[in-house]
Amino acid sequence: MNPAIDRRSLQHFDWVLLGLVACVLGIGLANLYSASSPGVESGLPPEFRRQTLALGVATIGMLVALVLDYRRLERLAVPVYVGTLLLVASTLVLAPITRGNRSWLIYGPLSLQPAELAKVGLILAMARYFHRNPPSEIRRVRDLWGPAMIAAGPVGLIVLQRDMGVAVLTMLIAATYLLFVRIPARAWAALGAAGVVGLAGLWTYVFKDYQKERILDFLDPSRDPLASGYQQIQSRIAVGSGELFGKGYLEGTQTQLQFLPTQHSDFAFSVLAEEWGFLGSVTLLAVYFLLMIWGLVVANNSKDSFGAMLAIGVVGMLFWPAVINVAMVLGLAPVIGVPLPLVSYGGSQLLANLVAIGLLMNVSMRRYIF
Amino acid sequence: MSTQLAGGQLPIEGRLYLAAALILGVLFVFVVRLFQLQILEGDELRRRSEQNSVRQVRLEAPRGEVLDREGRVLASTRPAYRLEVTPNDLSARERTFAALGQLLGAAPAELDEKAGSSRGSRRFRPRVLADDLDFEMLARVESHRFAMPGVHTHVEPRRHYLSGTLAAHLLGTIGEIRADQLEREAFQDYRSGDVIGQTGLEARFEAHLRGREGGRNVVVDVAGREVGDPLLEVPAVPGGRVVLSLDRDLQLAAEEGFEEAPEGELARIGAAVALDVNTGDVLAMVSRPAFDPNSFAGGIDTATWKGLTSDDWDPLQNRALQNHYPPGSTHKAIVAAALLQEGVIGPRTTAYCPGFFRFGGRVYRCWKRAGHGTVDLMDALRESCDVFFYTYGEKLGIDRLANYAKAFGIGRTPGLGLGSEAPGLVPSSAWKRRRFGKPWYPGETVSASIGQGFNLYTPLQLAVAYAALANGGKVMKPRLVLRLETQDGITVKSFPTEQAGEVPVTPARLALVRRGLRAVVEEPHGTGARARVPGVEVAGKTGTAQVVRLDQVEGLKENEIPIRQRDHGWFGAFAPADDPEIAVAVFVEHGLHGSTAAAPIAQRILARYFEKKNGGPLVAATEGGNDESGD
Repeated sequence: MNPAIDRRSLQHFDWVLLGLVACVLGIGLANLYSASSPGVESGLPPEFRRQTLALGVATIGMLVALVLDYRRLERLAVPVYVGTLLLVASTLVLAPITRGNRSWLIYGPLSLQPAELAKVGLILAMARYFHRNPPSEIRRVRDLWGPAMIAAGPVGLIVLQRDMGVAVLTMLIAATYLLFVRIPARAWAALGAAGVVGLAGLWTYVFKDYQKERILDFLDPSRDPLASGYQQIQSRIAVGSGELFGKGYLEGTQTQLQFLPTQHSDFAFSVLAEEWGFLGSVTLLAVYFLLMIWGLVVANNSKDSFGAMLAIGVVGMLFWPAVINVAMVLGLAPVIGVPLPLVSYGGSQLLANLVAIGLLMNVSMRRYIF
Repeated sequence: MSTQLAGGQLPIEGRLYLAAALILGVLFVFVVRLFQLQILEGDELRRRSEQNSVRQVRLEAPRGEVLDREGRVLASTRPAYRLEVTPNDLSARERTFAALGQLLGAAPAELDEKAGSSRGSRRFRPRVLADDLDFEMLARVESHRFAMPGVHTHVEPRRHYLSGTLAAHLLGTIGEIRADQLEREAFQDYRSGDVIGQTGLEARFEAHLRGREGGRNVVVDVAGREVGDPLLEVPAVPGGRVVLSLDRDLQLAAEEGFEEAPEGELARIGAAVALDVNTGDVLAMVSRPAFDPNSFAGGIDTATWKGLTSDDWDPLQNRALQNHYPPGSTHKAIVAAALLQEGVIGPRTTAYCPGFFRFGGRVYRCWKRAGHGTVDLMDALRESCDVFFYTYGEKLGIDRLANYAKAFGIGRTPGLGLGSEAPGLVPSSAWKRRRFGKPWYPGETVSASIGQGFNLYTPLQLAVAYAALANGGKVMKPRLVLRLETQDGITVKSFPTEQAGEVPVTPARLALVRRGLRAVVEEPHGTGARARVPGVEVAGKTGTAQVVRLDQVEGLKENEIPIRQRDHGWFGAFAPADDPEIAVAVFVEHGLHGSTAAAPIAQRILARYFEKKNGGPLVAATEGGNDESGD
């Protein structure tokens, strides 16, 4: 296999995509510095330092993902998918229980959350499936068994890790492809019903008490003003008090006085909204959502359906956590601990997302190769 | 959009538009919501963030008390006052530090530096200027505080060990939770900065001692100053109590025993354990050198920590259960029981001790060069004659001997639950093959039968073994905690006595061994005379564990031998000899002899026990007996 990039691919390198990603990463890193500096006596905040290191590693991951022609990746999709499943499965044996989950492989100072990488494996396998079975030909629910089984692999293993948030997210990423199938309205109703039954089952048998509490607190924040209701109230104050121009970088009182727990991860966007105001928040959201739209453009311009499906998967990977996270910060969804991709603190998600974006660049730069 | 797809035209562009519309729709919703929060409600929310911010203040729960068996407090919680400054609020910085400097007797410049910059993101964070202020200082600061904006005092519950180093290794230490601990499921609801039990009982009963923290939602202004009354207060619930089996008086006696070293020497190093022979209750457990757990309570300072960790004698190690050592002649009591039970000897079997034992072309010496002459089991135990045990131990064989030692609890951890316990070591032929890939040589049995060679005991194991000897063969699991109680004294969990095993020796044969051990202390020429307690018959056995080969220290006077090369001294005992209640094991590291170093400490513990029991002081201990003992 020749992984080298030929000249033509380089000529068509997607600078717009790179620019958008760099923009989001830059904003995210600057924001993380502000969010994690309170409470740090001297030097760089440790979260900031770790994130910078992770960014270095993730950038290498991104470069690796864009070098190899994605059409060859189609053949590698299954091994990569199985590989990431094995990695997730290994956590069930090797990972220590951290915060109730078995999600992290820890080796000295290094830690990795394989479930994040499983998302990349999942979109590769999904893209391969829909490349061979075009979504426009999927007209019956029973035709969805294949993709359902592909999704069941990582989702099942992640459920076994007891990491419900990530399991739901992974399921949503797989569900992105539903948008492109042509099943009739009746079938949608059936899927909807199955979803409701599934949720009821989750509520009854799977969700832990604290998870139920959070959802109930979302519906009524005054239920528990000391816990997640508190987070929601504080997040709202932080966002709102930013007003049009924000309080200024490193000047957000909600942030710097640490009113918000997990402000460097789940509530990173509140920090930004407080310090940069409406203009700053809308700018980030605009760049961020433009990135997703650009992903759809890449899908549209892709010269084959595998590339298109891959691009759609990457968009799904960015879209769902972002929607849930921002909705949570803005008080539109319960506090369920989903980070904002590329912005929140967290090395594994950064690695997985940049590898996925590498794939997107890969598809984009080879759109003219025949 | 038009999508070209391999294998024919399969347009998905319609759906891509739909996806794009969905994405833009979500963006629109978010922008509208941001507009609502930041533009329409922004004014109001900014006011709330500036003047009316609700901040959550954690109310730390006082840790539960640790009590001895008679309800005397060993560890409790006291208030600690901290002087803090928030740089952002220092409106009159220079004046404030000049005033504070006077109050605290510190250089204003130094305080200024401690307080840090009034700019940047850290200006809102309170800095500690002085920790653990005494009441007088607190009163002085409080009375001047109105003139020092930005300065405040803060009270927090702090662990307090009432008797300093007393039972330090058992009580353990508390400290800030480490990053790796935060990752564990057991500490799910802890946050960085929380203080938890790190070692000893503090760690073992963390969940019970911790209590439940409370919280207060207070209204604060933009500078973080509390304004008005709290909106909501959930009080902290203090942690529960742990009632130990320990007897503070006995513990004190044991610790004092280690303090009293022979003239010109440092305080003794080693360990002592006292057990109730029938219940396994740990009545005292000392490890020396010790440390003051109070120094950990408010966050240990670097110098103290360095001192503790770089100390060659390792004060943080609990020598009573985490270290094991060759048992020396204290092992002979177990060998005697095995010899009797296996029929290798009878009560009247004798051996002739010329001062040495020849076996396999080698000469094994008795500690008494001149020899003991003809000795039976009673004589051999009383005077610790090595030749008697060489002679018959070799006949018994290492594997049968090993079975008995194991039955007495050696070779496995007693399971006190205080972190890593050393298992001790019982050598056998199978063990040696496994460990070294070599066969066992009979000559090694000769050494093993007097407790030299590979045998290793922890002081706790010796106490358990002697308790079994004393109570007729029951190997009791040591019990350190009697019960867990709520802070109001309601029992929530009791720890029943547990028997861990049974020694396969008939009561009559055990009684014979006990008689021999009684002779060690109570009869003339006994090596344990320094353990005599007036009015009570004591049984015991001295032991000396060789640290270096004899020829390395040959010709040196005892006080000329470098400390690290001196032998270890042991003493295992129980009393009253005919109906034992308490068993004691004492180990003095590099103490030279069990008879002179360890027996007096055991004597102190036993004397205190019977003083308490009989309700009055006993007559001072008598001295005498066999002082030249090599044991």
